[in-house]
Amino acid sequence: MRRPDFLVPPRSRQTLGDVFTTGRPIDRVCRLIGLAGVVFFLVTAFTPLAHRLNLWIAIPPQMVRSDAIVVLGSSVSPSGLLSPESQRRTNHGIELYQKGLAPILVFLGGGSSGGPAEADVRAEQARLHGIPGAAILTETRAKTTREEAVLVKALLQSRGAHSVLLVTNAGHLARAFPLFERAGFVVHAAPSDMFVEADTPESRLWLMRLLVKESFGWLYYRIAGYI
Amino acid sequence: MEATFIAALAGLTSIGAYYFGARVLRLSSPSLGAAIGKMLESIGTTLIFLALNLAAAVLIVLAVRSFTGLFVSAYVTDDAVWLGLSLIQGLAFQWWRATAAGAASSRQE
Repeated sequence: MRRPDFLVPPRSRQTLGDVFTTGRPIDRVCRLIGLAGVVFFLVTAFTPLAHRLNLWIAIPPQMVRSDAIVVLGSSVSPSGLLSPESQRRTNHGIELYQKGLAPILVFLGGGSSGGPAEADVRAEQARLHGIPGAAILTETRAKTTREEAVLVKALLQSRGAHSVLLVTNAGHLARAFPLFERAGFVVHAAPSDMFVEADTPESRLWLMRLLVKESFGWLYYRIAGYI
Repeated sequence: MEATFIAALAGLTSIGAYYFGARVLRLSSPSLGAAIGKMLESIGTTLIFLALNLAAAVLIVLAVRSFTGLFVSAYVTDDAVWLGLSLIQGLAFQWWRATAAGAASSRQE
């Protein structure tokens, strides 16, 4: 009795060069997609491609005095632990305030599963860093970047703030920057990860994943006409 | 440095595996090409499942938002588990095809 196909040793005369010329069309397509995936994985993990792409996409930092510093939301655990991305943005916002670049610090971010809101956790951290409570504003209702722009506009309009230092990661800034401009602000970019060097395979893969995700987000916002 | 170490180590174990396969298990060297083809097929199938899963997830998120007014975050697609699940689906599908093809050719004989 003949053994099933998958237990039979591959045809011995087939060489590497035959990989993309033999088999059914669907198999060849799968192999080509697989090859593209493997090449993309290896190039991303073992070259500085992701870091270069991040720098290329990034809007250069414009550390100029503004009316407010706006720190966009990321995520918080139900127990109130900020995600690494959220913590990085929070630290950057606090640092910019301490440099005297704006008199108001706005934190965004809602909660999940009944836990504390991200914005409130960030505000508490800012107070612990000595920033007066009166200088801190929070907005916990926004669920998307687009909603963040609209709600921040409503929040800052009454305070006469027209220019903002926008704090988020470089990949996200490409989408957030035009949204806040559309909301009527003079926007200055303050990327929170501009100088984060992705120099290990895992960090490069993580950065590439972020860039791919943000690229799709940017594309969706473009198609939907938001930016 | 870390990347070089990882790449070098993976290269060394690959050479070791090739040596073990060729010398100890007496696998024919030219059939490695076909084996790599099968590996690429499995990865390709996994990537197709990944694309299908993510596209379906985004469509469902947008549909739920549009038709129910409920907010579901599109970041549900931003989870490494999709890759693991797609790998399981891709491998199962590939092995299903291979097993079915083997069974069919057995019947013909």
